Amino acid sequence: MLQVKNVTKKYGNFYAVRNINFEVNDGEIVGFLGRNGAGKTTTMNMITGFIDPTEGEIIVNGYNVETKPRKVKKEIGYMPEGTPLYYDLTVKEFITYMAELKLIPKKDRKAAIEKVIESTGLKIVENSLTRNLSRGYKQRVSLAGAIVGDPKILILDEPTVGLDPKQVIEIRELIKSFGKNHTVFISSHILSEIRQICDKVIIIDKGEIISVDTPENLENKTTDTNVLKIVVDDLNNKFTSLKDEIPEIKEIKFVKENEEDKTKEYIVEATSNKDIRKDIFSSCAKNNVTILEMKKHEASLEEAFIKIVEDRPEYSKKEIEKIQYEKELDELREEEKYKKEEKENRKQAKKEEKARKKAEKEAKEEKKEEKEEIKEETKEETQEEDFPISCGPATKEEAKEEMKEEKKKEKKKKESENKGGEK
Amino acid sequence: MLAVLKKELKTYLVTPIGYIFIGVFLLIFSLFFYITIIMPRAVNFEYLFLNGATILTFVVPVITMKMFSEERKSGTEQLLLTSPRSIVSIVLGKFFAGAIIIAITEVFTLMYFFILKYFGHPSLQVAISTLAGFFLLSLAYLSLGMFVSSITENQIVAFVVTVGAFLAMWFLPDALPIFEVFSLIYKFQNFSIGIVSLSEIITFVSFILLFVLLTIIVLQRRKSGK
Repeated sequence: MLQVKNVTKKYGNFYAVRNINFEVNDGEIVGFLGRNGAGKTTTMNMITGFIDPTEGEIIVNGYNVETKPRKVKKEIGYMPEGTPLYYDLTVKEFITYMAELKLIPKKDRKAAIEKVIESTGLKIVENSLTRNLSRGYKQRVSLAGAIVGDPKILILDEPTVGLDPKQVIEIRELIKSFGKNHTVFISSHILSEIRQICDKVIIIDKGEIISVDTPENLENKTTDTNVLKIVVDDLNNKFTSLKDEIPEIKEIKFVKENEEDKTKEYIVEATSNKDIRKDIFSSCAKNNVTILEMKKHEASLEEAFIKIVEDRPEYSKKEIEKIQYEKELDELREEEKYKKEEKENRKQAKKEEKARKKAEKEAKEEKKEEKEEIKEETKEETQEEDFPISCGPATKEEAKEEMKEEKKKEKKKKESENKGGEK
Repeated sequence: MLAVLKKELKTYLVTPIGYIFIGVFLLIFSLFFYITIIMPRAVNFEYLFLNGATILTFVVPVITMKMFSEERKSGTEQLLLTSPRSIVSIVLGKFFAGAIIIAITEVFTLMYFFILKYFGHPSLQVAISTLAGFFLLSLAYLSLGMFVSSITENQIVAFVVTVGAFLAMWFLPDALPIFEVFSLIYKFQNFSIGIVSLSEIITFVSFILLFVLLTIIVLQRRKSGK
């Protein structure tokens, strides 16, 4: 049994797969449908242990893929997309290598390889290099590599891509035969193939599971019950007048006229879910119109798939709220981060400025000190030269005070002279 | 590990890569044998390998370039990593397959020793230590080449980057003595004069282990999608 529980795979901010849940029971053949880039291969890669999920867990026959990868991988046979093969090996060498990689005991290996070569119809080409094989054979070799050792679960990623119709049928038959005793999980673009092989269909879109059902139910769900396809022999063109006779008929659409027998095909749409087939039958009989074919218009799986995927609202209300909430949270986080960064930047800038100012101050002080030292030295030198015995002021301040006193004295002298003159 | 090793060896011997490696190696070795030994009439086996060490720079990337890059490009990496084999065993399998190809090549080089022995008396001790050093040097290059191959899916890129790394390790110490630690060729020179010191063996072994470990980490991180 394969269980995928709340699995999410994120690459940066991009969700390749978002919170997916599904189960594949023992013996089931399950189809995995989705457009390109829907998340099919990512899901398969996570199930096979090629990549780890960001969140959630995958349980294969009771073992968690992340914690018991070896045991899980022993249970799984995987055929990756694009049939990767070792082109330098022959078919038999490739299958032998796969058997060795899968830890098949040596005593059982030869028989297992022979069995797989037989069952996949590769006996004729077993000694050919894989590079020289046709695409159909390459697919077979890849499938053989996946099923060698009889794994309980087979995972096939688009096994019939690029094959011609005959090859598609051959590969499909192979998968069908294998699916009789095993669990098969298969992704494909060819829906008719899924319709024919699978018991259950899982539809994935934009990384989310949007539908899990049987192919029949999917078709029924999307089939319009009030639409009929009718083929009539109507030489007098009276069929369209049925609209006036049966009020439940909403519209009669002419589809085509068969040139050989001149029969006409119509699509009749009723306004309600009332079965109008009896009314049409009796009205046609009255108007001499012969009904050759009348059946409910059934949607194919292709139509069902397109309808489900295209009709799907981008996101449900809850999802939108969740996304918005996550967005807001992200924005808040980013804002906080930005604020923090800004704070740190400011702090650092302040620190740097302080350090710069301090350095400048220190440099200035140093310069000043140097200048003063130089001045003092030069003064001392000149004083020593002129007056070997110091008789001048000891400091600058004393010198200034002396200067001031001299100036005062001179002023007083001038004033007294002026006063004398006036007198 | 054995399954991967066997398959890798088979691939080397089925495709031209293994033969190109052995052939080019021995061709250039023969030229060096003529230039460094026959022309000056010397009997020093180690001279051959001192010059021969430079060949590794261009020949080892031939076998390492496709180790992981090709698997990644062709998608066969999925087959390997979804098998029950551990990443460690896959990496070691590939590494030892490359090591065996190198060992086979070295066995061929013994013929030069026997030629010298026929004409003179080369030192057996020096020859053994030279071969051991040369093998360690080759394995160190092999591990670095394997690591480069694991980080790209383009074989040409893997080849060019590996050659570039080897050249940097060779010439950088001449320009900047700080990088002398990375110069494995200089460390090999001691082996070629018959001196086998523990520190040099440890340097080679730790270099090999480092890049084998880095390769494992690269594959592990790719799996977890980081």
